[in-house]
Amino acid sequence: MSVFDRRLFRAGGPVSPAEREWPSFRGAINEALREEMRRDPSVFQMGEDIAGAPPFGVTTGLAAEFGTERVRDTPCSEVAVVGAAVGAAIGGMRPVVEFQFGDFLSVAIDQLTHQAAMLRYLTGGQLKVPIVIRLPCGGGQRAGAQHSQALYSWFAHAPGIKVALPATSMDAKGLMKSAIRDDNPVLFFEHKALYRTRWPVPAEFKDADHVIPFGRAVVRRAGSDVTVVATLVMLHHALAAAEALAAEGVSVEVIDPRTLVPLDAETIVASVRRTGRLLVVDEAYLACGIQGEVVALVTERAFGALRAAPRRLGNPGVPVPFAPPLEDALLPDRERIISAIREMLAR
Amino acid sequence: MDAAVKLGLLRTMLLIRRLEAAWGDAYAREEIDGIPPALSTGQEAVAAGACAALEPGDFVFTTHRGQAPQVARGLDPKRIMAELYCRRTGYNKGKSYHVTDVSRGVIGMGGIVAGQVPVAGGMALAQKLRATDRVSVAFFGDGAANEGAVHESANLAAMWTLPLILLCENNGYCISQPVAAAVKAASIAARAAGYGLPGAVVDGNDPLAVRDAVAAAVARARAGGGATLLEARTVRLGGHLAHDPQHYRSREEIAAAWEECPIKRFGARLRAEGLLTADAYARMEVAVDDEVAAAVEFARQSPFPEPHEAFEDLWA
Repeated sequence: MSVFDRRLFRAGGPVSPAEREWPSFRGAINEALREEMRRDPSVFQMGEDIAGAPPFGVTTGLAAEFGTERVRDTPCSEVAVVGAAVGAAIGGMRPVVEFQFGDFLSVAIDQLTHQAAMLRYLTGGQLKVPIVIRLPCGGGQRAGAQHSQALYSWFAHAPGIKVALPATSMDAKGLMKSAIRDDNPVLFFEHKALYRTRWPVPAEFKDADHVIPFGRAVVRRAGSDVTVVATLVMLHHALAAAEALAAEGVSVEVIDPRTLVPLDAETIVASVRRTGRLLVVDEAYLACGIQGEVVALVTERAFGALRAAPRRLGNPGVPVPFAPPLEDALLPDRERIISAIREMLAR
Repeated sequence: MDAAVKLGLLRTMLLIRRLEAAWGDAYAREEIDGIPPALSTGQEAVAAGACAALEPGDFVFTTHRGQAPQVARGLDPKRIMAELYCRRTGYNKGKSYHVTDVSRGVIGMGGIVAGQVPVAGGMALAQKLRATDRVSVAFFGDGAANEGAVHESANLAAMWTLPLILLCENNGYCISQPVAAAVKAASIAARAAGYGLPGAVVDGNDPLAVRDAVAAAVARARAGGGATLLEARTVRLGGHLAHDPQHYRSREEIAAAWEECPIKRFGARLRAEGLLTADAYARMEVAVDDEVAAAVEFARQSPFPEPHEAFEDLWA
């Protein structure tokens, strides 16, 4: 199986009639944006081509309903647009900004980390900066080094920024609604490989008042031998690995943190206390990455419970290459997760 | 024009000058420490004139040299000084050098050169989207003018017809670098044409000239006419920061700059117009000095923040 197997997520494959009724990941975000814009006139959007030709289709139809004042196409000016969001937020609005590729946030990093994230603190709490920045991210798309990264570790490192990492349609919708209602800056990372995937959802998906709070991890699969913490696409690789290992009698618990800031350390630590083993899987670069952060907090809080050295899987620190065989060699996948778990259990 | 308005401008400039001097003195005698004071000595007419053209609900976004607009918008000198003394009674509760009072439309920024300009554009966008007729003013220096943030913000403000006044305070120096070594063109205001914005150079040492130019830009913005780029030519009489001995400027240049001192010039003008006597000016100085002394005393008597406050105010 390749690093990113489209069939795993049925993005391009045959879809059963039942599945066709499931909401797509991008459709779920679209629905959240629509509901929040209907609910609150201070919510508006900015981004390149979001009104005229939505790049990944997330904002399709919103300009028709809300007009191009509230769904604003912007020039290619990341610094001015993030700054516009910060200033508009101080001025009582709730801007949602789309970056065509999340990697481009590097261009506007000062406006995010120094202005959006610090202004409340620096002013002694006089103002709030409720902005959401939507960031298509991740590899497996043959999109090249500057369109494929998972950069949330950079921003989880900076004080004052919340970070959401939805992996299903329900979470995409519920977390986006929380993000828009949050009075702090929120980065909303959307894995490009998930956009066209469809997921079964609970009844509350259709409830416009239903939100999913930040800081609550979910145990996607219960198990007793090893805890795997994974986000975005890697969550689904981890679940596939857990399914494969179950046939061998290995019981894998899979935890989806859903938000990195705030991070639900309690759920992760409690799981490791039971399993005694921790594997963290993410596309982020390993050095100073979120994998290491999760390992560190578990080691600090539950060192005595560990029966094996914690493991990390991630990008070892290489630009994501363009050629498929090179990209496939780089990122974690189901097979690598299975191998890592076997190694941990063998010791 | 009303004599009271003119006298008010003079008093504002004098208060800026003396309040900042007290801050600089406190640093020189090591009563306060940290990053040295950034004084606007010689540049007082820019903020005094610009803020005289504004109304409640308008916003200004300051540079690192931000005390002048704070005073000119009527912030309490006691709470300004308390912040500069790092006390919890300061506007920002001791959390920043960049004094902010949201209620009076002053957002203190400037830790990152030009970082305030895109944010000012965003406030202007909010003012427009909320269908107010309020405006935003982005103060920035000649050094900041060369940052991409200013270029992007000017273009965006032009495209979106934002009620924004881009007010370049050209004091001739970016720390030690003369503006002629950083800007090839004859003016920064001339860049306005490239954005499709109106632009003008104004005498930044004349508070009335600044006031008139900003008032025209404000009137255009309130009427839905969009943004303006103004370049106020002024002089920095002191160093970049209070400890800067300015070895890079000749004594002759600094002496010539003092001849352009806006307080001296405007005072002379008001005397020539018969609006100000020597006695009246002396009384104004005493009143300002008393206000400054009270501000310093308030700051000194105020407590520092408690250590636990370091962990407050991050999240809304």
